[in-house]
Amino acid sequence: MFFRILKNDLKRKKTMNIILFLFIVLAAMFVAGGVNNVVTVMNGTDYYLDKAGVGDFVIVTSGEHAVGALDHMLKAEEAIQDYRLEQVVFGSQDDITGEDGKEKESKNVLVYQSIENSAITFFDMDNEPVTRIEPGHIYATGSFMEINKLKPGDVICLEHSGVELKFILDGTVKDALLGSDFMGNTRFIMSEEDMNKLLENQTIYESYRGEICYIDTKNFAAVASAAAKSPNVIFSGTRSTIKTAYMMEMIIAFIMLVLSVCLIVVSLVVLKFSITFTITKEFRQIGVMKAIGLSNGRVRSLYIVKYFMMALAGAVLGFFGSIPFSRMLLDSVSKKMMLGNDGGILVNVFGSFLVVCVIVLFAYICTGKVKRFTPVDAIRSGQTGERYKNKTILRIEKFPGGNALFMALNDVLSSPGRFLSVIISFGFCTLFVLMLVNTTATLNSPNLLDTLVTESHLYAILDQGLLGIMEGTREDMEERLDEMGEELTRKGMPARVCIELLYKYQVTFDGRDYVLNCQQGLHTDHDQYVYLEGTAPQNKYEIAVTPQISEMTGAGIGDTVTIHYDGEDMDCMVTAYYQSMNNMGNTIRLYEDAPADISHLAAAMDYQIDFTDDPSEEEVELRKERVRELFGLQEVMNATEYCIECMGVADTLESVQFLFLAITIVVVILVTVLMEKSFIADEKSQIAILKAMGFQDTAVVGWHIYRLGLAALAATVLAAAVSIPMTKLCITPIFGIMGALDVDYRIDPLQIFLLYPCIILGTTVIVTWATALNTKSIAAADTANIE
Amino acid sequence: MAVKDGENKKVTPKDGENKKVTAKDRENKKMTVKDGEDKKMTVLEVKDLCKTYVVNKRQNNVLRNVSFSVDEGEMVAVMGPSGSGKSTLLYAVSGMDGATGGNVLFDGKDLMGLSAKELARLRLNEMGFIFQQMYMMNNLTILDNIVLPAMESKKTSESRKEKIMRGEDLMRKLDIIQVADNDINEVSGGQLQRACICRSMINRPRVLFADEPTGSLNRNASDEVMDELVKLNKEGTTVMMVTHDARVAARCSRVLYLVDGNIKGEYKSPAGGDVKEKDRERMLNNWLMELGW
Repeated sequence: MFFRILKNDLKRKKTMNIILFLFIVLAAMFVAGGVNNVVTVMNGTDYYLDKAGVGDFVIVTSGEHAVGALDHMLKAEEAIQDYRLEQVVFGSQDDITGEDGKEKESKNVLVYQSIENSAITFFDMDNEPVTRIEPGHIYATGSFMEINKLKPGDVICLEHSGVELKFILDGTVKDALLGSDFMGNTRFIMSEEDMNKLLENQTIYESYRGEICYIDTKNFAAVASAAAKSPNVIFSGTRSTIKTAYMMEMIIAFIMLVLSVCLIVVSLVVLKFSITFTITKEFRQIGVMKAIGLSNGRVRSLYIVKYFMMALAGAVLGFFGSIPFSRMLLDSVSKKMMLGNDGGILVNVFGSFLVVCVIVLFAYICTGKVKRFTPVDAIRSGQTGERYKNKTILRIEKFPGGNALFMALNDVLSSPGRFLSVIISFGFCTLFVLMLVNTTATLNSPNLLDTLVTESHLYAILDQGLLGIMEGTREDMEERLDEMGEELTRKGMPARVCIELLYKYQVTFDGRDYVLNCQQGLHTDHDQYVYLEGTAPQNKYEIAVTPQISEMTGAGIGDTVTIHYDGEDMDCMVTAYYQSMNNMGNTIRLYEDAPADISHLAAAMDYQIDFTDDPSEEEVELRKERVRELFGLQEVMNATEYCIECMGVADTLESVQFLFLAITIVVVILVTVLMEKSFIADEKSQIAILKAMGFQDTAVVGWHIYRLGLAALAATVLAAAVSIPMTKLCITPIFGIMGALDVDYRIDPLQIFLLYPCIILGTTVIVTWATALNTKSIAAADTANIE
Repeated sequence: MAVKDGENKKVTPKDGENKKVTAKDRENKKMTVKDGEDKKMTVLEVKDLCKTYVVNKRQNNVLRNVSFSVDEGEMVAVMGPSGSGKSTLLYAVSGMDGATGGNVLFDGKDLMGLSAKELARLRLNEMGFIFQQMYMMNNLTILDNIVLPAMESKKTSESRKEKIMRGEDLMRKLDIIQVADNDINEVSGGQLQRACICRSMINRPRVLFADEPTGSLNRNASDEVMDELVKLNKEGTTVMMVTHDARVAARCSRVLYLVDGNIKGEYKSPAGGDVKEKDRERMLNNWLMELGW
């Protein structure tokens, strides 16, 4: 009998049951996919670095005698548990050309190595390890292929110190150490045979070889201290430094995480609504069952079993849907990373199981009312007639709008709970889209520029590469800047040219040694920099530090640290704090005449051109091309373009923003269709009576459109209102990890308050209209057939 | 059956209103002239009405060539056993549902030839409906529910305030003004059905259709509702109702008895106020028993 009632229930209330079932499938898909994403993202970089075998500490050596430079340290240092070494060759950006001889764009110093000699694992785009490369073939890391619009099978030419090689590109590999935009070095992986052709060249063998050492250790400080004393070290960093280099990728990953959480919240809210809604419609039947003597427990168990069975079937379908859904979301992050988790598919199973549990819990909570109602109350659909406050808020007499709007507004105000799920789900999704819009707009603006360099009219990409600079001296660089300035003046574009250089120096404070990045401008003015606190350094004995450095070393304003320049240990006082996104905020700013030497160069920003004749924006744009042609530079950018280039994730974030907008629209469509169908099923009698009274179909459809439209309007208005403070609250900590503690967000009011809310609102209205057309099938005569 | 001129005037629209359906239209309308009676306008004329449902490839002829007419000011009851097609007939003649064949002329207009939009307008302005289930809009007060059709109608140029006042007048007349601001679940069944009558009367319809208007009420409430309907009829509103209850039908001027989709008999209540209600009921019962009720 029990199952017969259940079977009949499923058959008789087909529409509502199908709607509920669809919600369950969606919830299971979102939750299972979301839980997988959460687990994956939380362990994201660790999982990737573990799979690649990066270890706990990485040291890179370069220059003459670089190979073998670490041998003594590796043997002597007790803190090193294990290590893996790989030999590489460094190259410059102009090494790689296409078959047509045109230079291919690449980033920073290029790294060449053989797959056989690799100490870490490289993964292809399907996340499979690359173990063998045919001679004459090559893989590139990072965005090399994407930037140069290359595809597998294309041919590239390598020319280094007279050695010329031709390669067929096999594709892009994921490089755990250098693959991130922040590390930014393009690494080329080739066969041992081809690598040997490079190493046969005397110049390459003696001057361009280097080593990358991956160390397993628990004592980072000891290894860091030992590395600081080793020669030829151009980079040393802990696993956490490498992890922070993925912060831009992780921004996207964390956004995916928030998106997943958002979808989970939306699906659970909607699910709660559906179950409450369907159970409320069951009170008549519950009353009958109670009247014939079924116990509370028996009645409740009937519904709990029903929802359990629906949840089980829905969760199975949702589980299968969650696998491609989760992959789709993670794919937008993992072009440079291999995201995954050891739990694999079990995480999705857990997510689906969670949905089943939640549904049964909801069903248990929602059927709790059964206990409180008498059979007669239940037959009255839960209405006892007792009310101490009028439910109706608006009065038709005083309402200035039409009847459809009046009924809609009255419905929303009288039963806000009914529309709360729409407001919450649409509000959440819209808010998230708006936060992404704010973040993308900020990353697409020059607002973050002062966290990298000073603001200039134009930025010209370095023409000689890091190794090229390191071949010369500081004086050579200063001379180059002067020459450029003079040349520009001769061509009618009077300008000052400057550059920011980053060095690695050993720094001591409070008896502890650190190897830190020191940032120094050549031909810059210290007043151009923005300081968070304190006063700008005025001479070489004064420095500014980032809050991250202050936290790491304990050195605050007024403290004195010792910088070990070549042959000179200089005590410098900290006079200010500044924020920087260089090296994730782990930098010290030196005064311009501090004796930093090019041999300690770790990185260089690009040429900055400040025109002194105060040109207009249009004129600056015109000068871009002239400057590029004048110096034969690869690229010249304005401040906004340069900031976007440095951040590197604006494009990806924009794609994520559109992906999430698409998901939001899908959510809006689904929730709107399902809710509207629920409302139509529930209000069949009211619709029929309106028609019997002579209301036109358009009036009925209008009533429904206004109602969900008003709920969507409330959601979008709320979302728009809180979007700016919420962006500051949620996104600033992510920028903070990268070094930017005080972010001046770029807000586009048109997008925040008009465009995106209108998209959500428009979608709701159109979908409601399309769904509400079903009310046409309810005829006036149906008043006779309604229960 | 006859309605006195003086009474008729009470529900005649004010001067200047409803001009569209007065002069020209009414001249063209069919007039039925009966011996010894006033000239009466036929407001509803049904000719050979058929309604067939096909369920699981089985044809079910619910109405079979039903023909009858209703004059202005009449109060007609349709009775018959369950499944005889009473409600189907009511919905078909009121334009709420289509028919398979035949014609329904409402005020001279063939409903079968009207579009859905025109039918809706006709229902809004010229017809009133009362159902057994007292459906109302859940989130509106009783008064707002009553005046809602008036707000939707453009039949008159009354202001919103005037429409509200008209709603209140109707409520006062039906003695439910005290629940005007109540929600629909805060009143008794009888009060709610009277509110439904007010709603059906708000646009001053020419015909009031009622489907078992007392079906879900107790005896007292049922009497109250019938009193109101009779009063409205006396004031000039034509009423056509479906009922199972002989007590209710006895208060109508004419009873149509429907069996298997055919009108098996027609009963005319004795005219004049000298016949007691109990006698009317007894006489109707006798007639019904003759027909196998």
